[in-house]
Amino acid sequence: MKALILVGGFGTRLRPLTLSVPKPLVDFANKPMILHQIEALKAVGVDEVVLAINYQPEVMMNFLRDFEKSLGIKITCSQETEPMGTAGPLALARNKLDDGSGEAFFVLNSDVISEYPLRQMVEFHKKHGGEATIMVTKVDEPSKYGVVVMDESNGCVQRFVEKPQQFVGNKINAGIYLLSPKTLNRIELRPTSIEKEVFPKIAAEKNLFAMVLPGFWMDIGQPRDYNTGLRLYLESLRKKDPERLASGSTFLGNVIVDESAKIGDGCLIGPDVSIGQGCTIEAGVRLSRCTIMRGVRVKKHACISGSIIGWHCTIGQWARIENMTVLGEDVRVSDEIFSNGGVVLPHKEIKTSILKPEIVM
Amino acid sequence: MGLTNDVPSTVSSQKKTVAVIMMGGPTKGTRFRPLSFNLAKPLFPLAGQPMVHHPILACKKIPDLAQVYLIGFYEEKEFSLYISALSNDLKVPVRYLREDKPHGSAGGLYNFQDLLMEDDPTDIVVLNCDVCCSFPLTAMLEAHRKHGGIGTLLVKKVSKEVASEFGELVADTKTGELLHYAEKPETFVSDFINCGVYVFTPEIFNAIKNVSSSKHEISSLRRMSSFEALHTATNSRAMQADFVRLDQDILTPLAGKKKLYTFETNDFWEQIKTPGMSLRCSSLYLAQYRVTMPELLASGDGNRSPTIIGDVFIHRSAKVHPTAKLGPNVSVSANARVGPGARLIGCIILDDVEIKENAVVMHSIVGWKSTLGKWARVQGGGDYNAKLGITILGEDVAVEDEVVVVNCIVLPHKTLNISVQDEIIL
Repeated sequence: MKALILVGGFGTRLRPLTLSVPKPLVDFANKPMILHQIEALKAVGVDEVVLAINYQPEVMMNFLRDFEKSLGIKITCSQETEPMGTAGPLALARNKLDDGSGEAFFVLNSDVISEYPLRQMVEFHKKHGGEATIMVTKVDEPSKYGVVVMDESNGCVQRFVEKPQQFVGNKINAGIYLLSPKTLNRIELRPTSIEKEVFPKIAAEKNLFAMVLPGFWMDIGQPRDYNTGLRLYLESLRKKDPERLASGSTFLGNVIVDESAKIGDGCLIGPDVSIGQGCTIEAGVRLSRCTIMRGVRVKKHACISGSIIGWHCTIGQWARIENMTVLGEDVRVSDEIFSNGGVVLPHKEIKTSILKPEIVM
Repeated sequence: MGLTNDVPSTVSSQKKTVAVIMMGGPTKGTRFRPLSFNLAKPLFPLAGQPMVHHPILACKKIPDLAQVYLIGFYEEKEFSLYISALSNDLKVPVRYLREDKPHGSAGGLYNFQDLLMEDDPTDIVVLNCDVCCSFPLTAMLEAHRKHGGIGTLLVKKVSKEVASEFGELVADTKTGELLHYAEKPETFVSDFINCGVYVFTPEIFNAIKNVSSSKHEISSLRRMSSFEALHTATNSRAMQADFVRLDQDILTPLAGKKKLYTFETNDFWEQIKTPGMSLRCSSLYLAQYRVTMPELLASGDGNRSPTIIGDVFIHRSAKVHPTAKLGPNVSVSANARVGPGARLIGCIILDDVEIKENAVVMHSIVGWKSTLGKWARVQGGGDYNAKLGITILGEDVAVEDEVVVVNCIVLPHKTLNISVQDEIIL
């Protein structure tokens, strides 16, 4: 089976993290975002993944070469010379996606994380025999998104409503699709939107079916949602594979720690924390609801909550970091500094406290 | 045949000068963000020419110039295109010498002593790339040779407030000798500042060597206590033996010993540390062109070419509609397109920018490949020193029709479809 992951562009909402690496390579729960998706695709039998990219393909390819070998899956890039929207990239990559076997192919959105119940999706797709299947997810505030209105009995999609003013339904497009190669015939090689142009046509022919996504779903394209996503992911891990979570008196709730990380005495870590490869957490540190990326050193007695600490940062002794602080790569926070929502670009030294949310360039 | 340094020579054919421009490197550049994301600071254009080009043009005027060296810790490939274009233009060789790590302003010189002395120069001109001034090098060289000391500093009288941000010095009013030097003093020392332009004789290498070896001795003789380590944390590099700073380590101890002299300038002088200052310095160089190379500036009256007010530079490949009005203090780079009825004041428009009809740009820098829609307005307050004093659009920023952007810094690849004020947009 084949798959296409829409990687797209510059990832500006995840700056300053995306100033150091392209967005799909930003780590999430100690693994590059895109690896979560590639592993899920491999598990359901996909043998080739095409990444639709329009920014820094060399960086992506260098990284992915290592994973091609270890995962045993073929990874190629389809480079857009101009932004092609959400459907154009499929036309661009059609030779790779349609191998003549008539088998359906997956399309995933790189910003999304979920449990990826792809095997169930394949079964659902075969059962209804229609042209295309999309995953939908239930949300509390549907009017922020594009709502999918469907026949609840069989999942047949009736229509899409962008940001509805009145309640029409509470299921939104989750950005995970399984399409039959016929769909490629509907897509011209120009910037097009799959949601606005392609799907409505298929739905009109009663050939588009929606499956409600079991489990969690999050668009982690911006820091606030990234942290919520981590909580949901770890919650799901607690149910499915609790061995991977840390255990012991040091830990509270769901915490994932890379095996190479060192944690000192007297720390209290959790809930909802990820600690990456090669990190050093010194004695007496409190971490809660935060992401600590690879190579970070958190010095003694520091306290970090609700924040994202980028690769190779150093957090000084007794520092207090909270309220959606995002530190880019290689930021050095001096001892005793307080950051209340600072957003700090790479390679900066923070020597004075940031008392209210601000961007430090 | 040897000329010793204490015998001032008036036979200029025996003199040879080498020029060194200190460029710095990427880790020091966070103050020049977001422009430094795309380009090494020395290559940022001021008045249509890369920053480093202005001191290089000044060096070109030195009659006995043998070679120009650029010393920095940027990667070579950043400058290779610029230097090969330069070699066709200048009549002397230009070389970029890459430091493997920062050695400080004097340490960098010392690190490359053998190369710098290759041509056996009698004098070494040292300039900082981020200084904007008239570089009166020929006059400075003459004065230096008359004084017969190890070095001559370019100095300027400024206001007390400005002086405290730089190196303050005291000079003998009769002889011009440097009597006292203090780098960024907390209390008032003097309103004369060090401009970062120097002429040295090869003796300077001995002076640097002495400082370097005494640092070696100090560091091997004692272990720093943890208290000291804490307080020199930010200067921990300065404790290393091969990191030698010109100001604190060389000028301060040598002052008052009849070795260093001063040369005063009354012309413009600024240091280009931030994008705001680069806008100011671009205007200063445009004003200088008016005097030295007026043919470089644009002119027009709205008939076949746009209306031009004051000093304006337009690259020959840029297209500006005749109904647009530009100036004062505007610089338009290669392949930019300025549409009908646009108004540009006090701004730098970088390569490949498109400005559509009736748009207005004031006190801003518009980054490479950006587009401004119809009736868009991009403006800054004009305070070059304030954090959000001018508006800076990074590479490939799109400002949609009728959108107003005031006092913002916008990082590359963003699209602005609603008006914004006083914000940094990541």
